[in-house]
Amino acid sequence: MNDTAEKENLIPLFDTSYYAAVTEAIRTEATRLLADGSVTLVIGYQAGKRKGTAMPAIITDPARANDLIFSPACVNNLALYLTKAKKDIRKTGKVAIVAKGCDMRALAGLMGESQLKREDVHIIAVACAGVKGSGAATGEPLTTANIAKKCRECTVREPEGADLVAGSLPSLPELSPVEAEELERLEAMTPQERWSFWKEHFSRCVRCLACRSICPFCYCEQCMCDRNRPQAIETTPRPAGNMAWHIVRAMHLSGRCASCAECERACPMDIPLNLLNRKMAKELKELYGHEAGLEPKEKGPLAEYKEDDDQSFIK
Amino acid sequence: MKKHNFEPKIVAFVCTWCTYAGADLAGTSRMQYPSNVRVVKFPCTGRIDPVFILKAFQKGADGVLVSGCHPGDCHYMAGNFHARRRFAAFRKLLEFVGVDLSRLQFSWVSAAEGGKWVEVVTELTERVRAMGPMLEFKELEIEECWSGKIDTPELQEAYEAIP
Repeated sequence: MNDTAEKENLIPLFDTSYYAAVTEAIRTEATRLLADGSVTLVIGYQAGKRKGTAMPAIITDPARANDLIFSPACVNNLALYLTKAKKDIRKTGKVAIVAKGCDMRALAGLMGESQLKREDVHIIAVACAGVKGSGAATGEPLTTANIAKKCRECTVREPEGADLVAGSLPSLPELSPVEAEELERLEAMTPQERWSFWKEHFSRCVRCLACRSICPFCYCEQCMCDRNRPQAIETTPRPAGNMAWHIVRAMHLSGRCASCAECERACPMDIPLNLLNRKMAKELKELYGHEAGLEPKEKGPLAEYKEDDDQSFIK
Repeated sequence: MKKHNFEPKIVAFVCTWCTYAGADLAGTSRMQYPSNVRVVKFPCTGRIDPVFILKAFQKGADGVLVSGCHPGDCHYMAGNFHARRRFAAFRKLLEFVGVDLSRLQFSWVSAAEGGKWVEVVTELTERVRAMGPMLEFKELEIEECWSGKIDTPELQEAYEAIP
């Protein structure tokens, strides 16, 4: 983003009336659904306490449906609230959820893993122009400089298969794929260089496990990394355990990850976790033609097999 | 006093139905193979978790061998097919993190292939011997996270920037 002029960075990407339109569509739909009782609650976003921020909201009263908003600060992947870990939400009956394209991929993934039934959720999709990345100030509009990295190469801005698509997409300028370029840079390195790159990043890890808590796919009731008899992974934030934790995390998500990049956003130490996820997604696409999409798949690439799978690496 | 030469530690994760029996055959037929290999027996290659490989490296292995039945021969029908996909993905991940893949070997050795077992083990041992010890994971194991330096210019600057 260094090549972009400072001045240009402050210009909003598009007309902000787009947000008003999306917000209006979400509110109308939420009011209707809650009033006629077709859903018991709506999971969406509401304005945060500070101006320009947003936070997840669970609305059960139609009168409160007007609290729902959509803004470039609506970064959370709300699919998290529909996993096994949040039992009390699912218990209530059919629910509606506001989902961006990337969140819908996570929903599709959960459906594929039989964690969720399509008929139990009413999906209010957002035609999403992108959300703000880390480090963006709360007051500023969405610009080419502060848009999240994942949004720069989004392929699901107008998601299909939802019950309603809120808003219509404004025209967007071409954005350079920052993350894909970073991945290419890493792949071109020697193994030693890559090792020191990751070693440096992982040495900062404090093992808060925010990456696990925020991930819609980390819904195991007992994580193998918490077990201590036998202990698979050291739990203290020391280099050996950190390296092992991040390798295992990436491995357990490979073929399942929806690339919502929430792990990277939640990381307090700015570890580029989505690079690992993207690398695995890329490899699984090359090996088995698998891609995380909006269609639920019955089996992920590592849960099925073909007799003629590549085995050139096996002697 | 004579200095010790480097002897690589090789951990072999094998399935009990094929490769373990194959290694047994090599033994009973009195074939010679390097004693560097430590065999760990599993019911099936499908039971071998990538974490085991990590753990082996962390605890001092210089090379790891994973070996099981040929495709179609699995005692549990499909264990090795699943393992094949899992390890295809896992080795790509390890490579991305910066592990030299020549330290990691996968093979199919059936119960009748004592000779192949000898060949696989010898080849891996000699390759790892030439590469020298695997230091990356071992160094991590003894390292502490905090460098001990708390008066770095960066931290000082950050401290002063606090309003």
